[in-house]
Amino acid sequence: MGALGDALYANTGNINMKKEKIITIIFFVFVALVLILGIRGIVGNPTTETINNPIWTSDGPLELSPDRGRFSLMYSIAEDHSVKFSLPIARFTTPDLGISPKGEYVSLFAPGVSFAILPGYYVGKLFGVSQVGAFAVIALFALFNAGLIRAIAMRLGASIYAASFGALAFLFASPAFAYAVTLYQHHISTFLILSSMYVLLRWRGWWGISYIWFAIVLSLSVDYPNLFLMLPLGVWAFSRVVWFEKDSHGFQFQISLLNILTVVSVVLPLAFFLWYNAAANGSPLQLSGTLKRAEAIDEAGKPVQPQLARILGLAELDPNRKKTAIGFFHSRNLLNGFYTHFLSLDRGVVNFAPVMLLGFFGLYYVFKKSITAGKVLVGIIGFNILLYSMWGDPYGGWAFGSRYLIPSYAVLGIGIAMLLEYAKKQYIILLVCMALLSQSVWIGVLGAVTSNRNPPQIEILALEKISGHEEKYSFDRNEQYLASNHSKSFVFNTIGYRYMNAPTYRALIAGLVIAMCALLLGGLLFDKQKEKQYE
Amino acid sequence: MSKHYSVGFSISTDKIQRFSVFFERHAMFFLSVILSSVSLVAFMVYYFNGFGLAYNDARSHLDIGRRVVEGLKPGLAQLGSVWLPLTHVLMVPTVWSDFMWHTGLAGALQSMISYVATGLLIYLFLRELGASMIARLVGVAIFASNSNILYLQSTAMTELLLLATMTAGAYQLLLWYKSDNIVFLIKSSFWIMLSTLVRYDGWFLFGFAALLIFFYTIYQKGYWVAEGTVVLYGTLAGFGIGLWFLWNALIFKDPLYFIFGPYSAHAQQSQLEAAGVLATKGDWFLSLKFYVYALAYNSGAFTTVLGFIGAFVMWFNRRENIRVRIASAALIAPFLFNIIALYLGHSVLFIQGLSGDTWFNIRYGVMMMPSLAIFIGYLVDRVRPMRGLIIGLLFFVMFFSITSNDIVTIDDARVGSSQKNVTEVSSWLTRHAKDEKGFVLISAASHDAIIFSSGLPMKKFIHEGTGAYWKSATESPDRWARWIIMRTYSEDDSTWRFVSRSSGFERYNLVGTYPFADIYELKPEYMADLQTDAVLGKQK
Repeated sequence: MGALGDALYANTGNINMKKEKIITIIFFVFVALVLILGIRGIVGNPTTETINNPIWTSDGPLELSPDRGRFSLMYSIAEDHSVKFSLPIARFTTPDLGISPKGEYVSLFAPGVSFAILPGYYVGKLFGVSQVGAFAVIALFALFNAGLIRAIAMRLGASIYAASFGALAFLFASPAFAYAVTLYQHHISTFLILSSMYVLLRWRGWWGISYIWFAIVLSLSVDYPNLFLMLPLGVWAFSRVVWFEKDSHGFQFQISLLNILTVVSVVLPLAFFLWYNAAANGSPLQLSGTLKRAEAIDEAGKPVQPQLARILGLAELDPNRKKTAIGFFHSRNLLNGFYTHFLSLDRGVVNFAPVMLLGFFGLYYVFKKSITAGKVLVGIIGFNILLYSMWGDPYGGWAFGSRYLIPSYAVLGIGIAMLLEYAKKQYIILLVCMALLSQSVWIGVLGAVTSNRNPPQIEILALEKISGHEEKYSFDRNEQYLASNHSKSFVFNTIGYRYMNAPTYRALIAGLVIAMCALLLGGLLFDKQKEKQYE
Repeated sequence: MSKHYSVGFSISTDKIQRFSVFFERHAMFFLSVILSSVSLVAFMVYYFNGFGLAYNDARSHLDIGRRVVEGLKPGLAQLGSVWLPLTHVLMVPTVWSDFMWHTGLAGALQSMISYVATGLLIYLFLRELGASMIARLVGVAIFASNSNILYLQSTAMTELLLLATMTAGAYQLLLWYKSDNIVFLIKSSFWIMLSTLVRYDGWFLFGFAALLIFFYTIYQKGYWVAEGTVVLYGTLAGFGIGLWFLWNALIFKDPLYFIFGPYSAHAQQSQLEAAGVLATKGDWFLSLKFYVYALAYNSGAFTTVLGFIGAFVMWFNRRENIRVRIASAALIAPFLFNIIALYLGHSVLFIQGLSGDTWFNIRYGVMMMPSLAIFIGYLVDRVRPMRGLIIGLLFFVMFFSITSNDIVTIDDARVGSSQKNVTEVSSWLTRHAKDEKGFVLISAASHDAIIFSSGLPMKKFIHEGTGAYWKSATESPDRWARWIIMRTYSEDDSTWRFVSRSSGFERYNLVGTYPFADIYELKPEYMADLQTDAVLGKQK
């Protein structure tokens, strides 16, 4: 059936191919449908004159500076054909606005996301929904990620039901959903990681290894820390270039000359990376994140310091301070980072996506199937957690849940699939899994249909000083938003609001996902029953 | 693997085995050379950047050692109380040299030797646990590359000596458990005895090891053998403790002077409690939290987590010899001691972010470093499929630890409550008192850092330990002290306490006011009556 067929179908031996095909189609259609229901946006094509209007920014889909930063660069390229920002676009981008060595306003983010969403922007523009089109590209990557998780899990021995369940858990029972419907780098980064993982599992040849190097270098343009997340995959791929075998005489070290040539695949993404840095930042090796930052712009177009940053003392004390790529990571932040990502009320996995923790147990079964795959997956999680625990801002700025752990959620989704597959006779585990999933989906969908504008707990006091009232910082802030009948979903804001209120809309989506997961669980059990019947 | 278009080379099993045997045989030598080189380089780095003497306590330790050999009343009595004596005793052979004193090398030397010794002990410990060569080297590397360990081993602080003696005691205990050979128990007793003379953590290990020995022996051989074994162990290992009580009784007329005396930790903690900053006293959770933070900041959060996982794997591994599992419990003695000490209020830790904006005693978290290194080495050995991954992740974190200059013990020394920038006072003294006759009256308990940093010989100073000089100078300062260094109006400063009540104090001019002390100088018209020679001779 070829690669696509293998990606789509499980070879369980117990379910016939036609049924598998139907389940797969239903899976992808369902995921696409739910993503569409969640995509944020409003009708219209923003222009330089209108883009700073709150309907696009704080009240709209481009509510936070990471969204705006990436949208700005895309818009500049699409409309102004430049990687440097005009003044309205620069103002729109603050507070995460970069200043190039020549004093021009540029993006502070890696450019990959902005270039990737260009096609969606153009297509959307034709229909008068350019912003939605741009966001839809990210949703598409999220869809691919769900498919890849499913495919990888099936490759590792999970049934089609367990694998599909794991994929849904990743996408809808974690903050991944909230970032699948807006403009962040996480799903593209995760796609590169998962696709590389799948390629390494599926193929051993020249093209596969070439893809890994290509993906690693390309991932730099999506988000600079991806280099570390892709490291385990790079090591695995490297083991196919240089390897050793043990026999009765000793150790044989081999180097594949053909596979060495695969390094040629880095040329294109590297050229893009270096070109962009040179064009925007003034030097091929000057990373965007290391540029000087302008948090606000005054009437005259000059950089100034905004109020919240002044109160918190978060603004750069020395704007001329030299920043380095690795200078953002401090090992002393690890303890606070661990706590933030896992336990904190404002970001912790325990609060936002407790079902994901079951994935850790499932990884044990990955090792049973393939030690190498297990090591790589655990390595990805390890590098992800450690890196972003050392990061100076583990909270992810204003965010919904721990967004930096989205690649880990993907791996844990595979773990959940494996746990269900191997523990399908343990009803208590299935029950616990379903209960945790339901709670996690309820929260995950909440984030997707509302907003990601949750401040970290450490900023609350300062925020309350400005606003003059109590400020929430966990998903209860989203509940508050939803309760006032607000949603940032494009579908809700164009059609849905006529038929139901925002809480009902959320309940509908969450209900659909939970029902689908329950069906998959039922399928898993029924499949087991059928096995018994044939025994 | 496809062999098409590939080149390769092979190494025979025979060669590998010969190399392994060679390396195994000479591993201790290679490790000694490497660790010694690293130790030396680290010392030089911290000597040249000045951080080697940043700790106030380091300067005090050096001064105590110096006072034994030089001063107005040299002698062993200068070892004092409160701080246990072994560190200072070990300085005596070298601290007479001004160079060794003022570079800090007199104290750092034992730290450096202890650093090398602890690294070797970790290797040996893991070897006894049956760990592979890679696992042993990982364990050593984790300890040896820790930036806080590297800093502390370059200073005249007591932590490394304690780690070496405690680890040696735990290692010999392990050997005894495995072989039941009484010689190892005697050796363990010896090392634990030494640790009891370094810091009070050693006293806890003494008691904890006694419990391990007792309960194991009673289970294996019955009560009477257990009693005898513990008596043997206790007599040897507790010798140092007994000596210390005796010392306090003889010198200070009170065997408990080190606990309740004016300069004791108890006195310090009482003040802190009165100020409301002894948060951990009576609170188990807070004590645990503070120490875990200290552990994580010193050893690295990831290292700490891995270490605990390694400990868990070791203790719950049913395939592991029960004797080994019990013996290795000695490795958590520092962890238990510090938490109990915090809970009882005998110890204080300030963690930036938890207890305000400063650090104090954060270096206590380094006490578990050898134990964590051993646990991780064990983990790396037992979880072989994950070995490469664990090592990779450890290197990953270490890389950022180096690039972010994450050395919390230096922060403690530089900006925490353990630092005293006394440069202004000591510089004044160096400029004005160095080539002039006359003594400086100063409280060593409060201003040892000034004494050290001034670069002046110890016999220039009249302090609490100079016996009759101190008594005379505090009663009639104008007859004995040309300069007085003290914190004016501070009743904690013993010089102020006495001198402010003396009529002779009126004969001084205030010539300098600085953050940590003020300087007074005798008015010129009273110089004629000033005693400038050490006329009181040898005192008993």
